[in-house]
Amino acid sequence: MFWKTWKALSQAGVMGINRRNADYVLKYNKRHLYPVVDDKILTKERAIAAGIHVPKLYGIIDTEKDFDKFDSIVAEHRDFVIKPAQGAGGDGIIVIADRFEGMYKTVGGKIISRDEIGHHISSILSGLYSLGGHRDRVLIEYRVTPDQIFKSISYEGVPDIRIICLMGYPVMAMLRLPTRQSGGKANLHQGAIGVGVDLATGITLKGTWLNKIISKHPDTTNPVDGVQLPDWNGFMHLAASCYELSGLGYIGVDLVLDQDQGPLILELNARPGLNIQIANDAGLTTRCHMVERHLAQLKKEGREESAEERVAFSQKHFAKLPDAPLSSDEANASNA
Amino acid sequence: MQSINLHLKILIAVLVSLGVLITGYQIYFLDIPVTEDETDDIWSLDAKVEFRATPGTPIKAQFFIPPLNQDYVSLNESFISNNYGVNINNQAGNRRVTWSSRRASGTQTLYYRLVLTQRYSEEQAKAAPPPAPQPIQLEGPEQVAADALINPIRQHSADIETFISETIRRVNDITDDNVKLLLAGGTSAMDKARVIELLLSNARIPLELVHTIRLENTETQTPELWLRSYNGERWLYFHPETGQQGIPDNRLVWWTGSNPLLSLEGGRQSSVTLTVSNSEMNALRLAKLTTQNSASALLEYSLYGLPLQAQRVYQVMIMIPVGVLVILILRNLIGMQTLGTFTPVLIALAFRETELGWGIALFTVITALGLSLRSYLEHLKLQMLPRLSIVLTFVVLLIAAISLFSHKLGLEKALSVSLFPMVILTMTIERLSITWEERGGAQSLKTALGTLIAATLAHLLMTIPELTYFVFTFPAVLLILVAFMLAMGRYRGYRLTELMRFKALTKS
Repeated sequence: MFWKTWKALSQAGVMGINRRNADYVLKYNKRHLYPVVDDKILTKERAIAAGIHVPKLYGIIDTEKDFDKFDSIVAEHRDFVIKPAQGAGGDGIIVIADRFEGMYKTVGGKIISRDEIGHHISSILSGLYSLGGHRDRVLIEYRVTPDQIFKSISYEGVPDIRIICLMGYPVMAMLRLPTRQSGGKANLHQGAIGVGVDLATGITLKGTWLNKIISKHPDTTNPVDGVQLPDWNGFMHLAASCYELSGLGYIGVDLVLDQDQGPLILELNARPGLNIQIANDAGLTTRCHMVERHLAQLKKEGREESAEERVAFSQKHFAKLPDAPLSSDEANASNA
Repeated sequence: MQSINLHLKILIAVLVSLGVLITGYQIYFLDIPVTEDETDDIWSLDAKVEFRATPGTPIKAQFFIPPLNQDYVSLNESFISNNYGVNINNQAGNRRVTWSSRRASGTQTLYYRLVLTQRYSEEQAKAAPPPAPQPIQLEGPEQVAADALINPIRQHSADIETFISETIRRVNDITDDNVKLLLAGGTSAMDKARVIELLLSNARIPLELVHTIRLENTETQTPELWLRSYNGERWLYFHPETGQQGIPDNRLVWWTGSNPLLSLEGGRQSSVTLTVSNSEMNALRLAKLTTQNSASALLEYSLYGLPLQAQRVYQVMIMIPVGVLVILILRNLIGMQTLGTFTPVLIALAFRETELGWGIALFTVITALGLSLRSYLEHLKLQMLPRLSIVLTFVVLLIAAISLFSHKLGLEKALSVSLFPMVILTMTIERLSITWEERGGAQSLKTALGTLIAATLAHLLMTIPELTYFVFTFPAVLLILVAFMLAMGRYRGYRLTELMRFKALTKS
């Protein structure tokens, strides 16, 4: 019975953790480059230097004493996000949506005092949320307002888009939608929904929720498939250019779609998860092998491809919808 | 990548073959027992010499004893003889003990005991080949009879081997007149052997009479006579009566030549009783015994050469890789979630002190109480280091309390929890609570359970006495383990849990 599943999975080119670690993470990601992705401040600095869009950084707090700076950092902003620089999985993030009589109001509607924020920042600094418990830094940044398109298929929180890139070639994409169960967080292991995205058109496919395949949002009951994401090519280019930015060959790029600023890069992940395959109902190994063959071919010819060319390659070869490319109107009509 | 894979394959092959070769060498060449309770045969040969002393005359009893250059190792040799001088000398390949006494009266009893074992005997220098014999001079009719026998034998044989067997066959045909004449009435094996020796000496073929004893549990036995000759390469053994070639394995040469076992001066009515008895001894003890006796480096360079105290420590330590292997398999092949990589192994080591049932119970209780304290501390919003210190102190107090109560209740077993590493418990509690916060209670319970299962499995495997003995005695098997770990390092297949996780993808 196991053997049958095994064969079916390997036929479908599904990537397992062992293969991801051995063939991609270990092979393409040099350890000394990890700080760039593990520290969100470094990622942001690199991105800004490369002219890539990221949520604006309001300020950094790196010692307990620096907390005095907090007021001046947020003085001009009614809403902002407090994040550990080295956090993982969305832990330790507080999103302030508004102010209320000298207090702060989170997205969830909870009122918290300045002291509570102070304690939270001190926890972050002591390394509570960082990988391996190192001392950490706190960054305070622009709060993303999710695009209206997500209103019907998301519950609170900010949906994000994860695109996995191999050597700068986008190989698979997924839209992550927060649910009531995930508490507004876009993390699959906390109960968020992952929805596959067609690389060629940016139209959503079926979704996965707790390792099951679904097609409706459990909270809003609206269909999650067939939604055209706006500015899809912008997403693809941002993701593809993260290779030059980080130097890492196998990464998951997390992006958000801001109502005003369009696609922004949130963070990079050097060990992106594998549930994206369930969301896309496709295996990563097959696609990665195709990119690797293409790279070998290019190497023989002695040339390298630009981000545009890489995106074009991915869109040509990894289109999931049979009649792609469709214009967004047609796509919506056919799925209606 | 290709070259790395080849490199890895070669490394794995080298490690596996090294491990197998070293272990094989230990088992097959050094003969180290594979299991701890393997036993081995030990033979003790007892000779009792009795005679009546002739009053007023010095006594000199000369008695052959087995040479030690055989396929056996002597563990112990003893002479029990009150008031007798004992003197051993070698002559013509034989060993001979001379018991002597100025005067004695009445029945005298002398004992000789030799304890032998076949295990751990090393390649010994073989007995030297006998010199080419001078033809034994015969006269008149005997010469004629001998010639009459030798000529057809020479015609019917091709080499020494066939010559001897043909001679034995003819000499045993006692209806033959020539043989009858040469035997001169005697029909014992000794007589026949003498005639065979005579005929062969005329053909200038060397022959030796060997008196052997059977290594069997017997009441008493008389030495069995065999003949042997050297064909330039090896010894050929023949039975003087049946002509059977090749000596059975359980025969031990006692002495060679035609002299009697005992020659006695100053005594009469002598008798010799030989008994062979067999017992078994733990092979490992035997190995140590022979090491002392024969100064072989057999166990000198193994972990058994360490002081006893260190041996105990190494017996635990050398099993840690086995425990780690369990975790490796559970995580990378099965996909079970555990707390950290080596925490389960450390917990498994702690179980050694407490026994499994108690260990699991105490671990669960202390972790559960620690977790509740940790969640209470969470409300106080403390910094990490002070919080960890508080949990650790709490764990210490908890252990002390448990020990005290269990002592009062008469449960001495729980006392040993004091050896349960407190830091491991504290870190377990801390990490579990972080998992709880970040991934939820269900996930942290799953992780805790996975850790406990992994620790239990590792503990059970690490404490199998046979396995511990095997790894301790043949540490080279760890090289095979390393090879497996190396292979696991490049394992790219699915984990068992992934087959479940990605099941939805097989439907299409």
